Amino acid sequence: MIDRVLVRTYVVQSSLLWLACALTLFAFAWVRVWVSSLIDMGQFRTILEQFRDFERFAPIGFDALFTHTGRVGMTFDEPIVIFCTAIWAIARGSDVVSGELGRGTLEMLLAQPISRTRLILSHAFVSTMGLLLLVLALWAGIAVGIARTEITETVPPPSVRIPFTAIELPLTVAGPTKTTFPMSSVVDPLDFATGIYSLFAFGLFLLGLATLLSSMDRYRWRTIGGVLAIYVIQLVIFGLGKSTERLNWLRGWSFFNWYRPQQQIAETASGGWAAPWRLTGPDADSWFGPGVYPLLLLAGGVLFYWLAIWVFRRRDLPAPL
Amino acid sequence: MTVHASPIESPSTAADEESSRLGVIGERNRSLETHQREAVPAVMTDRLGKRYGTFDALIDLSLEIQRGEVFGLLGPNGAGKTTLIRTLLGFLQRTSGRAEVMGIDPASDSVGVRRCVSYLPGDARLPRHLRGRAVLKFFADIRPDGDYEAALAVAERLELDLQRHVGFMSTGMRQKLAIATVISSKSPILILDEPTANLDPTVRSQVLALVSEAQRAGRTVIFSSHVLTEIEEVCDRVVLLKRGRLARQQTLADLRARHRIFATRRQPQPAPTIPDRLRDSISRLTTDGPSVIIETVGDLAPTLGWLASLELDQIRAETFGLRAVYDSVHFDEASPS
Repeated sequence: MIDRVLVRTYVVQSSLLWLACALTLFAFAWVRVWVSSLIDMGQFRTILEQFRDFERFAPIGFDALFTHTGRVGMTFDEPIVIFCTAIWAIARGSDVVSGELGRGTLEMLLAQPISRTRLILSHAFVSTMGLLLLVLALWAGIAVGIARTEITETVPPPSVRIPFTAIELPLTVAGPTKTTFPMSSVVDPLDFATGIYSLFAFGLFLLGLATLLSSMDRYRWRTIGGVLAIYVIQLVIFGLGKSTERLNWLRGWSFFNWYRPQQQIAETASGGWAAPWRLTGPDADSWFGPGVYPLLLLAGGVLFYWLAIWVFRRRDLPAPL
Repeated sequence: MTVHASPIESPSTAADEESSRLGVIGERNRSLETHQREAVPAVMTDRLGKRYGTFDALIDLSLEIQRGEVFGLLGPNGAGKTTLIRTLLGFLQRTSGRAEVMGIDPASDSVGVRRCVSYLPGDARLPRHLRGRAVLKFFADIRPDGDYEAALAVAERLELDLQRHVGFMSTGMRQKLAIATVISSKSPILILDEPTANLDPTVRSQVLALVSEAQRAGRTVIFSSHVLTEIEEVCDRVVLLKRGRLARQQTLADLRARHRIFATRRQPQPAPTIPDRLRDSISRLTTDGPSVIIETVGDLAPTLGWLASLELDQIRAETFGLRAVYDSVHFDEASPS
């Protein structure tokens, strides 16, 4: 189904972009974990409490963020992480047909005994493997960050609360003490496996979408423009859906609603390993469990790929520009 | 010690015989298929049509290209040459008619067709990030009949610098590299769309020599070009396309046996009449004042004696040439039959 020679060429072609994205993700994840350790949890809570009114815009409830795992999990919604994943997916996906057509190299390539399906699948193999390795680079960055970071926390002196009042009375006259401990003692890198899975599914969705538009087009710039337009429109729909209760229904029309890595990480932290993979909701009100959303993204990506092959097999191959 | 045959051996032998008999039949069928396949022309089209919206790029095009032939495709820009080639390769879906390449329909098995064909596009573009050597390796590896050593040999013959990146090559060098990738494969059919564009005269001759060598090796070559002298030099047969239709087929050997004689009459006299014995040899006689143009078919020798009797001066004979055929089609002139 895939061609060894094509795979080799696509690997060479994409290696520089992959290396740049992988280094960025690895380094950013490491630094992000370290930075999260610099802000005291108490201070972090105080800062976040100021923004309670905007909690609905956050991917998960603020209370889930008042843990070290929750704070590290925020990495998955950082613009740089989304940006690198999207860059890889859109750059590689848009290249497969309209990119080769624009460069004029598809004519020579398809003059060889290679089916169009094989060409797309070979490209998909390299792009998907590249995406997988990218999200693994992010995970590696998180893991290294956790292993190398120490947390210093301020422990307030013991106190008692006077019943029926909000008054706390210190039991000693000593000031708050600081304790330092390795982050790895409170955060397990394996807790982020579901976040990595979600990010991969998100990337595959974009990769499939870009490949589909590429298979229909002959200009790469137009393909990229098309994918970005869809991306921005979906983001706006998602933002509007979150802004008020009245527009909440809009969220269902955006694929960003299916990208929920922080929710999955929080599920792992609170409900154990099996919790984020549940396909049904915990109660009758919620139909879908957290495991459904990455599956929707994966299914969307695979469907787009299937459509891309269907379109590309039927279209006339235009002469080089 | 006597060794007895095991009773199990007997049915096994019968099964072997049966299988061997079936194998022979299968082999015969295969050889019949091979024979039938060998009997089909290299390329066949039957009322082939290709339409883009309201524009007909190919209209009822029927032709056959025999194996081992060097076949020329001629026509002005937009005549349908490249559309024909791209339809044969399965790049374009035909609108009507039939087409087969080595007995394979490109609409149903374009990969099968491209396994038999090496194609050089009119505007061959290669991956710019690769070096020349890597391009040759890539195309040699990707084809089952690719031959890296042969590609290197062709590249050396065309004096290519294989260390250079394609992106830093001149247009001519890129064309030479593309030629090396295409000609070096062992496919039975070569399709060359304007292979000598952007090449200097020395390399052009090399390319034409390579085409002739390919023919001597038994390969079929489809040669599309605007350079009439090149087509005359290498092709056995040529078709002229005009606005998507087949306007003329011409065998080059017939064309080479045709001559056009230009002369001036010494003194005013009535137009000469063609003797009965030369009616088959002279296809046309035109007079315009003192000038006479005579077109001949076949051996020129029988005509020479009669020409000598006409009291002509400034006699000049030239082979008919593809230019005349091309012009006659292009400008809708009365054409030599």
